[in-house]
Amino acid sequence: MLSRIVFVSANAVKSCGPLGAGLAQLSHLHTSPSSQAPVPALPEKGGKTRHGIIPEELFQLLYPKTGVTGPYMLGAGLLTYILSKEIYIINHETFAAACMGTVIIYGVKKFGPDVAAFADKLNEEKVQKAQEVKDLAMSSLAQAIQDEKKEQWRAEGRQMLFDAKRNNVAMLLETNRRERVHMVTNEVKKRLDYQIALQTLHRRMEQEHMVNWVEKNVVTSITPQQEMASIAKCITDLKVLAKVQQAKATA
Amino acid sequence: MGTCPLYDADRKMAGKRAALKAIDWLAFAERVPPNQRAMFNNLKTRSDAIGAKLSSLPEKPVTIDWSFYKTNVARAGMVAEFESKFSALTIPEPKDTATAAINTQEAEANKAAVAYVEASKARIAQYGKELEKFQNMIPFDQMTIDDLNDTFPETKLDKEKHPYWPHKPIAEL
Repeated sequence: MLSRIVFVSANAVKSCGPLGAGLAQLSHLHTSPSSQAPVPALPEKGGKTRHGIIPEELFQLLYPKTGVTGPYMLGAGLLTYILSKEIYIINHETFAAACMGTVIIYGVKKFGPDVAAFADKLNEEKVQKAQEVKDLAMSSLAQAIQDEKKEQWRAEGRQMLFDAKRNNVAMLLETNRRERVHMVTNEVKKRLDYQIALQTLHRRMEQEHMVNWVEKNVVTSITPQQEMASIAKCITDLKVLAKVQQAKATA
Repeated sequence: MGTCPLYDADRKMAGKRAALKAIDWLAFAERVPPNQRAMFNNLKTRSDAIGAKLSSLPEKPVTIDWSFYKTNVARAGMVAEFESKFSALTIPEPKDTATAAINTQEAEANKAAVAYVEASKARIAQYGKELEKFQNMIPFDQMTIDDLNDTFPETKLDKEKHPYWPHKPIAEL
């Protein structure tokens, strides 16, 4: 009920009378620390009135003694009393008051609801904005708590980073060691293999050289008359072969 | 043939060398915050490269067939000399200089993490308090201006600084 008192002047709103404001004040009676009683809710509308200004409580008060017409009789009687005794004198101001009263009452009756709705809308917007702020704050706080918990969980995993680093170091050392071992064996093996290869090369060269030398010597040692003799032998062999062949062909 | 002390050294040293711990890269990846993802990826590629290099090298070196060389190499005594020198050879293990640095890093990180967790818990407590305040608040349509000023002190109008209505600079209306 922030609005009806704050935003709109009291007489523009039909149902809000001075008693409404008073009731709102009453709710603060319990705010002193000595009393722990729960604060009653703020009333939505002001106190009920009859004919706009006369509070309902008067009618309820008089009802047991004078029934339904009691307060009206009281009003009429009071009016008659103050007029006849000239406690209130009718003068020019009375007419002015009557005219103003008529216009005011007409204005309120005609435009009151619209103005009230407008004021209510203004208040609704304010409350809604505040509510949105509150909801946003609550959700972001809850999210922040979740995020903090998640970050804590993340921080727990730091062990793995250092395990990975130590693993890397161990792997590098092991790789280095293996490389060294391999290098030593390979170098030794290379040297031994070189010796073997050198030896095989030597033997091959010696063999080839010997073969060439023997061939050369054999070729040079073939004397001319040996050549003639071998050619003559070849010719006689061929003749024999030709004869055999002829004999075969005719037979 | 006599086994080369290189291989013996292997077996003796295997106990001293740090055993490789199996790392669950998936679980590790989950715990990495998004702003450190690039560093994590670098670490992973480096680790994978190192692991690949390690597995590409065979554990034992090629064995040298001394008897074959003894019978075939003509040079007298060369193979015997090589063999004796080879057996006497011990290969020094590479020195581990980085693990100490890693351990100090780890200790520092642990300290920092503990401090961070403490601060984080304090922050959670503070958020929890504020959340409670919001949850225990009376609904807005039950509040008066005084209640509003109590719940949100920033809405209180400073009547000393701005004694005249609207009690705040016109620009803030």
